Amino acid sequence: MTVPVSADRIVGAGALLAAILAPFYLSSYWVGTLLTQMLFLGIVAASLIFLSAYGGMVSLAQVAVYGIAGFVLGNATTNGNTKGLNLGWSPWIGIVLGIVIAVAIGLLFGALASRSVGIYFLMITLTYSVIANLFFSQVTDLSGFGGISGIRAPNVIGNVEAHQNRLYYVALVTAFGVYLLLRYLVRTPFGLTLQGVRDDPVRMASLGYNVPLHRTVAFGFASLIAAIGGILFVWWNGHVDPASIDLGATIDVLVIAVLGGLYRLEGAWIGALLFVIVNNYSQRIGFIGDRFHTLIGAIFLAIVLVSPSGMIGLWERALSLFSGRRRGPLDRNPIEVGPAEPSV
Amino acid sequence: MSALTGRRKLIPFAVLAVVAAALSASVATARNSATTIKVAVLSDCQGAFGAFDNQDMAGVVAAFSQYAGAKPKNPNKPRDGWTGGSIGGHPLKLVGVGCSNDRADTAIKETKRLMEQLGADVMVGPLSGDESIAVANYAKQHPTKTFVNGSAGAQDTTLKVQAPNFFRFSGDGAMWNAGLGDLAYRKLGWKTAAVVADDYSFAWTSAAGFITDFCAAGGKVTKRVFPPLNTTDYSSYAQQMPTNVDGTFVAVGGAGLIPFLKAYEQAHGPIDGKKFIGNVFWGTPGQFQQLGHRVVGAYAGGAGTAGDLNTPAAKAYNAMMGKWFKTIPPFGAAAPQAASTFTYGFFINAWGLVEGLKKVGGDLSGGQKKLQAALRQVSLPGPYGTVKLGPHNQAPITAFFQQLYLKGGKLAIKTVGEVPNVDQSFGGSYSTKTPAPGRTFPPCVKKKLPWQGKVITPKVTT
Amino acid sequence: MAAVAAQRVKLTALSAHMRLALYAVLILVFVVFPLVWILFLAPTTGTGATTFGSAVHDPKDFLITLLNGIFGLMRVVNMAHGAFFLLGGYIALKLQRQLVGQGSVFGLTSDQVTLVHWLYPVLIGTVIVALIGLLMQQVFLRWNQGQDLRQALITIAISIILADLMLPGYKGLGGGIAQDISWPKTFDKFVNLHVSGIQYTLTRLVILGIAVGIGVSLTVWLKWTRTGMVIRAGVDDRAMVSALGINIQLTFAIAFVVGSALAGLGGVIGGSFASLAPGVDANWLLYSLVVVIIGGMGSLGGAAVGSLLLGLTGNFSAAYLPSNYTYYSIIFTFVLVAVVLAVKPLGLFGRPA
Repeated sequence: MTVPVSADRIVGAGALLAAILAPFYLSSYWVGTLLTQMLFLGIVAASLIFLSAYGGMVSLAQVAVYGIAGFVLGNATTNGNTKGLNLGWSPWIGIVLGIVIAVAIGLLFGALASRSVGIYFLMITLTYSVIANLFFSQVTDLSGFGGISGIRAPNVIGNVEAHQNRLYYVALVTAFGVYLLLRYLVRTPFGLTLQGVRDDPVRMASLGYNVPLHRTVAFGFASLIAAIGGILFVWWNGHVDPASIDLGATIDVLVIAVLGGLYRLEGAWIGALLFVIVNNYSQRIGFIGDRFHTLIGAIFLAIVLVSPSGMIGLWERALSLFSGRRRGPLDRNPIEVGPAEPSV
Repeated sequence: MSALTGRRKLIPFAVLAVVAAALSASVATARNSATTIKVAVLSDCQGAFGAFDNQDMAGVVAAFSQYAGAKPKNPNKPRDGWTGGSIGGHPLKLVGVGCSNDRADTAIKETKRLMEQLGADVMVGPLSGDESIAVANYAKQHPTKTFVNGSAGAQDTTLKVQAPNFFRFSGDGAMWNAGLGDLAYRKLGWKTAAVVADDYSFAWTSAAGFITDFCAAGGKVTKRVFPPLNTTDYSSYAQQMPTNVDGTFVAVGGAGLIPFLKAYEQAHGPIDGKKFIGNVFWGTPGQFQQLGHRVVGAYAGGAGTAGDLNTPAAKAYNAMMGKWFKTIPPFGAAAPQAASTFTYGFFINAWGLVEGLKKVGGDLSGGQKKLQAALRQVSLPGPYGTVKLGPHNQAPITAFFQQLYLKGGKLAIKTVGEVPNVDQSFGGSYSTKTPAPGRTFPPCVKKKLPWQGKVITPKVTT
Repeated sequence: MAAVAAQRVKLTALSAHMRLALYAVLILVFVVFPLVWILFLAPTTGTGATTFGSAVHDPKDFLITLLNGIFGLMRVVNMAHGAFFLLGGYIALKLQRQLVGQGSVFGLTSDQVTLVHWLYPVLIGTVIVALIGLLMQQVFLRWNQGQDLRQALITIAISIILADLMLPGYKGLGGGIAQDISWPKTFDKFVNLHVSGIQYTLTRLVILGIAVGIGVSLTVWLKWTRTGMVIRAGVDDRAMVSALGINIQLTFAIAFVVGSALAGLGGVIGGSFASLAPGVDANWLLYSLVVVIIGGMGSLGGAAVGSLLLGLTGNFSAAYLPSNYTYYSIIFTFVLVAVVLAVKPLGLFGRPA
């Protein structure tokens, strides 16, 4: 990275410290509702940004995968509930099961879409998302219209509402862990090959790399991250139903990722923070009122038109302007990574 | 916690806990000096029942105006809420009206906003079945707040969730239909019937009431069709409806009912009202007028409501609604809408809350335990009979059913049947052990129900 | 070099033959056999009608998927298509209410509506959406042609804004509940076709007529007119068409206008046979995506085959699954997509640019 690392590091460490200390200077509504929401939405968006930045795949199926993990967890852990399978198993089994099933389905999704890229990939993953929503709406054994209510976090976290800070810290640690894991992953041989596949799949294929397999594995990995986000979401919400993973929710996560910047992982949480704050406070701005989505759509449009590298891109531009450096390779347009058409 | 090795790690948490305790203590003292009772209402302003938003609010505002000294802000727009009012010296404040659709997810989001961001103490609502199941579950996790139902009629809300701080002074969808199946079998001579219902908790409950009742009398339900709520194109579902049955029970509600009837006609030709029984939506003021002459002669389940009942209490209730509101948009004059399932549901539950608050003098201290205990003792001399809570904070009701007829060329409804003392067990058919009403439950079984052949014809005004 | 080139030519010729064979097999398996089955072999349903009834009762599905399916025609994926669909319906709805009167909260009845009260909103709704499409293309999309993903994101942003701005409008029409555009009295009656004894409504025949009319005129336009040829050429090789001195921008604009107009028309017709409410575009979006994924981008034939396959899958899974499992029919849509993607990642008729 040619961008002045020190400035990034300082800001990053400062943000982390601010997040750790947040419960001491912010209201419980801010911590328990807004920041916790920011953290798990950021995790889901990070899975999208990972795919897009390092695999050249903009996926709209992340919310579907996150929902699958949530529904599995809900079915496995609730008991005496009105809907679902009511298995009543331990929350820990629920977590494992939720993640395993979500990743398995993610691998299937990924394998099917692995020979497509660009806009085609976007459409296929959007189809997954809509189908997942309809599936859970129609199959009452697992969910149905009303979904699963009364999902509880493990005893260690306790009643999420009574101990909001515990879930917040769990989410914070998880988010930081996800961030470090992804940072590590992209530096491994697999991660480097994936970036090769992103930049020139034909050459990678002729070098003997299995391009669809790499894309599939990356998709499976992103599903793991999204599933973790989904688990945190259902603990926080206590409830999941098909409306939690509808088209709107799918688009919201895309908006978060694009706002943050589709090519650096940090962007996920920056986008999520912006989204959550705008969502919560736009109602108080008189002329906007209920039209939150118009506002966020306009911001989204402006970002795509003006700074396709999102908030992170703006920050980096400001940095390079400040330090007088020339624009580095990071200034490339992240929304146009990889070839636009399938070429494998 | 028992691991001694972890003690050092706990120190920061201990510090944190002390600070948090100090903070919350200061917050608590601050709250005790301000003794306003913060009320929230969760209504639907979008989705299948969005049109009834003002009917919902009319019920709540009328109850607080009539019994707690409040005053509607706008007699032509109930949604604007109320001003003034107090209980035991504690002023009442409407901190927010939630705008949900029929989705549980939205209901939870709005409830969180009302209770956590706006800091409401008590909430009236929600409107529809699955929302209420989610809210009751939410209530369970928030034992220090109190929730009373709006107009939601899913069985599970009280029978299965059993939140100690969620109360329902109105009935559930099955109770509302007591006597309808008996009527179909005995009076209309139906031997077989088809059932179509929205694919969600309330409509399942509503259909369960009819199916249990009809099969208990000896009828057979040959087909059950469940289009999703908010379907906009009913043609494939209408196509699935059999015509080789004696009659059809329709529990499609809200915005879907008229499109369904149209689609049915497209698939099977003109509708004969006498071969149809509808649930509460066929008798909901504001809606039934729009069903068209096709439904003349059809019977309709109520919601424990009978707007034309010839009793002083029922007449007083209509007059009271007319006193507080001139019109309830978008349906016009207020008084005839008093018997709407939405207005009545929100009214009777809000009234229950007011009486509970009165019993404790508006005292919400001690995690609202006193209020919650008082609510279980409340007895309301309601417009359609006395209302008092039974097991699982669920009130038994008197069920009524209506018939659609032509009056001066326009559709009108007349109450033609009354079944007193219907409790949630529905004559022993449902318990905490039975599955939730759904696509296949209840099965069709012949058995004895307490009201078989004993349906009363009430006196009504004409 | 020459040998290699000859080899390539041979290979292409071979693959062309194979493609032909593949299509023949596919058509046989997915079109001819099901049709024969439906017409002659299918068991009767509870209503007494054969499944033939349920297959032809859906000309509307065919029409709407066709209208939506062509959105991949120009390889500009307009993700605002769903919003355009709703907007077309909304404008027509608003206009009809203004012409006839508000009616009740639950809408008008066909007795109140004459043919003009329907045709006029249809026309205006379609034209306005076409113009909005043109505006969007000129302002936002024209200058980043070729950046597919960016264009898709721009159209998503526009659809978020449009959908949100329409919300209060829909609420104003009836408290946020679903509303339908009323058919004129002229169409709202039953006709007896003497086909398996079904009373058929005229509205369905009207829809069928519109579907066939649009299909035929689009085919004629694309196959035999100059503009159509330029569009087809431009889809395959934009630079070459441009180099030939043809105003490719104008051609693209025309194609975009037609695509948007059809989305708007789809909304009006969709709003007439079903109802319109915020969010109903999600289902139509699914249909159009599946059609494009199955049929392939940039192919009219692909759109037609795609919508046919989708419709057949839906009807068959609904008709043949045991009644307790009909709710699982959505899985078959997924299976359809999966099978096509496994065999042809670009869709049945899709070609790389």
